[in-house]
Amino acid sequence: MSNSGSNFKKALEGLVVCDFSWVGAGPITTNVLGQCGAEIIKIESLKRPDILRKGGPFKDGIAKGLERSGYFANRNPNKRCISLNMRQPKAREVAIRLIEKSDIIINNFRVGQMEKWNLGWEDVKKINPRIIYVTMSLQGIDGPHKSYMGFGVNLNALCGLTAQACNPGQSPFGTGTNYTDHVMVPTHTLFGIMAALLQREKTGRGQTVAISQLESAIAMKPTDSMVYAANGEIMGPMGCTDPNAAPHGVYKTLGYRKWLAIAVFSDDEWLALQKVMGDPAWAADEKFSTLAGRKENEDELNQKIEGWTKDRHATTLMRQLLDNGVKAGVVNDARAAIEDEHLIERGFWSYLDHPEVGRTLYNRAPIMFSETPTQMIKAAPLLGEHTDEVLTGFLGYSNEELEELKAQDVLT
Amino acid sequence: MEDEMKDRSLSDVKVLDFTGELGPYASKLYAGLGADVIHLEPITGDPLRKKGPFFKNEKENMEASLQFLYYNGNKKSLVVDLHRKEGKEIFLRLIKNTDIFMESCVPGFLNSLGLSYEKLKEINPKLVQTSITPYGSVGPYKDYPGSDLTCSAMGGFLYLAGIDNEKPVRACDNQAYRMAESYAAVGSSIALLHAKRTGKGQFVDVSAMESVGMALENSAQYWDLEGTIRRGRGKEAGSATVHPCKDGYFAIVAIMGKNKIMWDPFVKWMKDENVQECEVFEDPRWIEPSYRRSDEGYETFCRIFHRFTMQHDKMALYEKGQANRIALSPVSNGKDLLENPQLKHRNFWQTIEHKNLGGEVTYPGAPYEFSDLDWRFGFPAPEFGEHTARILESLQYTGDEITVLAEEGIVNV
Repeated sequence: MSNSGSNFKKALEGLVVCDFSWVGAGPITTNVLGQCGAEIIKIESLKRPDILRKGGPFKDGIAKGLERSGYFANRNPNKRCISLNMRQPKAREVAIRLIEKSDIIINNFRVGQMEKWNLGWEDVKKINPRIIYVTMSLQGIDGPHKSYMGFGVNLNALCGLTAQACNPGQSPFGTGTNYTDHVMVPTHTLFGIMAALLQREKTGRGQTVAISQLESAIAMKPTDSMVYAANGEIMGPMGCTDPNAAPHGVYKTLGYRKWLAIAVFSDDEWLALQKVMGDPAWAADEKFSTLAGRKENEDELNQKIEGWTKDRHATTLMRQLLDNGVKAGVVNDARAAIEDEHLIERGFWSYLDHPEVGRTLYNRAPIMFSETPTQMIKAAPLLGEHTDEVLTGFLGYSNEELEELKAQDVLT
Repeated sequence: MEDEMKDRSLSDVKVLDFTGELGPYASKLYAGLGADVIHLEPITGDPLRKKGPFFKNEKENMEASLQFLYYNGNKKSLVVDLHRKEGKEIFLRLIKNTDIFMESCVPGFLNSLGLSYEKLKEINPKLVQTSITPYGSVGPYKDYPGSDLTCSAMGGFLYLAGIDNEKPVRACDNQAYRMAESYAAVGSSIALLHAKRTGKGQFVDVSAMESVGMALENSAQYWDLEGTIRRGRGKEAGSATVHPCKDGYFAIVAIMGKNKIMWDPFVKWMKDENVQECEVFEDPRWIEPSYRRSDEGYETFCRIFHRFTMQHDKMALYEKGQANRIALSPVSNGKDLLENPQLKHRNFWQTIEHKNLGGEVTYPGAPYEFSDLDWRFGFPAPEFGEHTARILESLQYTGDEITVLAEEGIVNV
């Protein structure tokens, strides 16, 4: 790369991303690249806005317009947004100018959409042979279910995350979120992109990176299938248990929906927990003295532990337990996580100023670089906020050409 | 040009992985693309080797932990006691030629051995060191002990996995750890590219508690913008709900928000199937989320819908629903996944012969496909110390020296 030896303050400085992605996993992927210094140009259209702009929560609960969604905002800071109406044939010329200047092009449309615009890989590599071309299908681009549809909750269920996340005798619950969209798919996409960029350092050429959302999710939860293949066993409901620990669960404490998580793996940790509890007589019972015994009598053990926690404050207990070497953590709700001193001191949260909703909450990627820290600079863009500056400043259009494109309904 | 293309791997990237229960997926991502990954184990062995479930339930066999086998495929095992002077010397020789050093040591442990990042950087200025720990190496909790469950809890993720006053449930496979590892892989790769461009390495700090903050969906913004605390979804009829069928459960998104266009095909499907009472679904009140969330709405939906679903298997419902353009999918278990026709078609599952276990182990396959890189499972996870001697030889130790190191318990060969 030509920048060899220069002193970057941002790790991905100089990289440009042509970002056709929308909703979940795609924007989260480019969000991380943007925080590391890549220039993200997000392409939307008033005719086809990122539908997450209509997803709650909204500033002060007012669901008006396209600029008040916090759901959208937190996935799209530090990006510039251009409005480009791809239904107009001339829009493709604008896209091509951007592609010429880009290192990465990413979309998470249904398979075939980019090809309809003549922006499939075969076309794009002719325009820019150094570009990394990223697609994110649900289940791959071939096979009997390649066109099946689904949202995060469907993918959670399909990939096996939901089945064990329940209490015995109850219906499977899962994570309560579109979990696969948030971490499993974006991190694999990010790693795939970085691998392709590292390869480009050697070959000088771009390449395709095709993510199957289902397959990348399964790669992060291997055990259920491996156990069935090896031992013929189907793994059952987990509740909050762990096969290698007891007590291991969440326990009621004082207050509304306040629980404390406690995880005891070793006998030393069990002794330490007994000490913090004040060495109650029941805990000295021999049946609790080994992990095997504690697992065998887990329900009774959990009831006893909860008998101790339920009249106490979760935060106080957590400190006492942690200070004595017992793994414990308050089950924080979002407010408590936002106000948590550790996350605040690490600078995980930030508040960015937005022209329509003012200062609102964002989080950075969970990576602290010693030399090139992630940067949270600009709030999420208004739809088309940067159309003029990107076209005239970055893509080299004259003002006359810009006006002409506008008159032709290309930039709506 | 053709010659350059022959190496469809990251074989020039050298990763040293000194992690255990927390950390191994980060370097597995590199191993999967053909990077040279050495798994450094303490003289007592990677603790993950002792964690179940085990192949054929062989609990006492330190080569049979299914998690160890998965996360350490295509890595080499080097067993060294870093507490010993000679062990440190081996480590320092290795670091000289390492691109990424991943570790999940208690913050301060490596410093106490005289192996701080500052020291390592003197030997190798391009070194990327990525630390993966429960809380990270800065911040007030950094010295506290943590586990997957407690990190999930403290980061705000666990709270979402329940509704109303119910206690939350956990996701499988230690997801707080997996989140930290996958972000550690990403952070390491970003720092590596930067190091290749500038010649400068850096220290990358990843915390599991913080990583789960990526999985809070919109809950932090619900507090910030509307002053409300949300929990999990799952009680709004037809909108991201799980329902029973003849042989298990399935998930469905038949409507989101007030999107009638999504709902119409569902109503048509129910009519086509002659589901008793299904004309109830034609009422416009189903388009209102508040009605679907009400007890009456939820119970009515379940009463009518389950009459139909309880007659069918999850795979049949999956196919019927999808044919009707409904986002319906089975709640898969391990067996379902192995039998899934799409995954079979794509040859997703990898079956590897393990001579030392006397059988085959089946693993998840490629998470992605590239045009110029190949994903591979690679060779089976190493036996304890399997590659120690060969790695020491590559570091210019003689056969006699290696024998002495082994006799003194500094390495395991």
